[in-house]
Amino acid sequence: MSEHEKTGFADIDNLHHKRDIARQGGGPEKIKRQHDRGKLTARERLDLLFDKDTFCEVGILGAEDVEKPDADGVIAGYGKINGRYAGLVSYDYTVKGGSMGEVGEIKATRIREIALKSRFPMIWIMDSGGARIDAKTGFGASDDTDRVALFAYTGHLFKEEALMSGVIPLVGAMMGPGFAGTAYIPGLSDFVPMVKDKSFMGLAGPALVKEVIGEDISENDLGGSKVHCEVSGVGDLEVEDDAACIQAIKDYLSFFPANCDQKPPRQDYRGDPTALIDDKILEIIPEHTRQAYNMHRVIKMIADDGIFFEIKPKWGKNMITGFGRVGGYPLGIIANNPMSYGGVIDINASDKATRFIWTCDAFNIPLLFLSDVPGFMIGSMAEKSGIIRHGAKLIHAVAEATVPKFTIIVRKSYGAGYYAMCGKAFDPDLIVAWPKGEISVMGAEGMVSIFGKKMLAAAPEEERANIAAGMTEMIKPLLNVKMAAAKAYIDDVIDPRETRRVLFKALEFTKDKKIFRHPRKHGVYPV
Amino acid sequence: MAVEVLSPITGNVWKIVKLVGDEVEEYETIMIMESMKMEIPVESPQNGKIKELRVKEGDSVIEEDIVVILE
Repeated sequence: MSEHEKTGFADIDNLHHKRDIARQGGGPEKIKRQHDRGKLTARERLDLLFDKDTFCEVGILGAEDVEKPDADGVIAGYGKINGRYAGLVSYDYTVKGGSMGEVGEIKATRIREIALKSRFPMIWIMDSGGARIDAKTGFGASDDTDRVALFAYTGHLFKEEALMSGVIPLVGAMMGPGFAGTAYIPGLSDFVPMVKDKSFMGLAGPALVKEVIGEDISENDLGGSKVHCEVSGVGDLEVEDDAACIQAIKDYLSFFPANCDQKPPRQDYRGDPTALIDDKILEIIPEHTRQAYNMHRVIKMIADDGIFFEIKPKWGKNMITGFGRVGGYPLGIIANNPMSYGGVIDINASDKATRFIWTCDAFNIPLLFLSDVPGFMIGSMAEKSGIIRHGAKLIHAVAEATVPKFTIIVRKSYGAGYYAMCGKAFDPDLIVAWPKGEISVMGAEGMVSIFGKKMLAAAPEEERANIAAGMTEMIKPLLNVKMAAAKAYIDDVIDPRETRRVLFKALEFTKDKKIFRHPRKHGVYPV
Repeated sequence: MAVEVLSPITGNVWKIVKLVGDEVEEYETIMIMESMKMEIPVESPQNGKIKELRVKEGDSVIEEDIVVILE
């Protein structure tokens, strides 16, 4: 007789036993296969994600068969990440391929609701074969025909995820496959890290693609990490392995508050944020505007300890977006990248910056714009791909953002590019320029080609180039930021070494910034 | 250990600034590419010595082509 029988809790040992079984997921063989694929199991992942002993699981006894606990292919719960709560739904590939079944989705729903009500971030770890079709808890026909109709009552998860957006941070980490329904989970998330060559997403997998449109393509070429982090822009960051992916989730969330009503957490910063930046910052910007330079280096010299957490580093490279801190205060940084197409803003750059602004604005993260922009992309290709609506989207986002906005004209800032990088009219709380900065409707050469057209046409052909060059030299000084500063259109021209000092003070004085807008449901967003 | 330096852009090699055997510092320009009317430096990702130049002036390269090997 077990000692618990005396207390009337005879089943208690069985309960522990069932939990233990559930914790073993698909069993040793499947776990070995998971490891052989270079992947961690769902439980190993959550051990890395959460602070020790803080994970609280929900629905561990959920299963297709009450006698065979397996958590129904998804682990659900909440725990602390660096001391702050977050919810987790982690698909377990070792159990029924991590497929989405009825019980698993009841668990997932439970955590979504808890995260939203308690207002802490929600994380999905995707390693799933998609909707379960053929089992008792699935959505397909086998012996139970009612299960087909069940599909008509699904889809809440996507609706809920859309409505959670902007209330709490949403992370959709791709650590395995995620085809069909499971691809919309990351699609609706704020941040989508992808494990290199191990994660895939697509609205249909290779088999269905082959069947429906006759395209023969591998999983990797269809929706691998390279496709989504370099071509489609659906992925935010390609990471080397599972451990790096978990670290990326933690690093990302460290810049965020738990919900939209909170301020982002300030980290301890030991140094003096008002100290001058090293003289080396003066060597970065070349003399001629045609010469590119490393904007990442500028960002790293501005950010605390040179730490910059970049979002979408390999997509839309002409626009750099990511998080850093100044004096411990989180900051969303948007910078033009002269190394890539001269930093011109094209459709992808517009998409990338807009989404980043929306994310930061939703969670009260101040924005820093580092401007060196020749303008928006022009030409028939750009027009046909809708540069006007994409550009309008970016302008919409910059105008609408109510978080503290700081603009630094690093070098040139021309045309609508100046507006999109938070020019004066877009209410930056600070707008300063480095001494080589230029603000103008266009570059000096472009201006000469328009207003000097008649004069150039009248001159002998062999002299035109010289005359144009002379005119350009004459106009160039008028573009310099000292002219805008003399009119007090911008706040100041600063020594680049003062940049951190200036930003730190701006972060302090804008702490309680509040903006009121005309009441409306929402803008009519150009997309 | 050999370190590969990649071209940041698709374009032409306009000017090679450093030669095989030269010491370079992190962020120092090794060569300059020309693309979209911009001069784009290929910078050293770390301190090192140039072991091999994979391109010559006038060559066209594709983004992420290996252009230099450091040691």
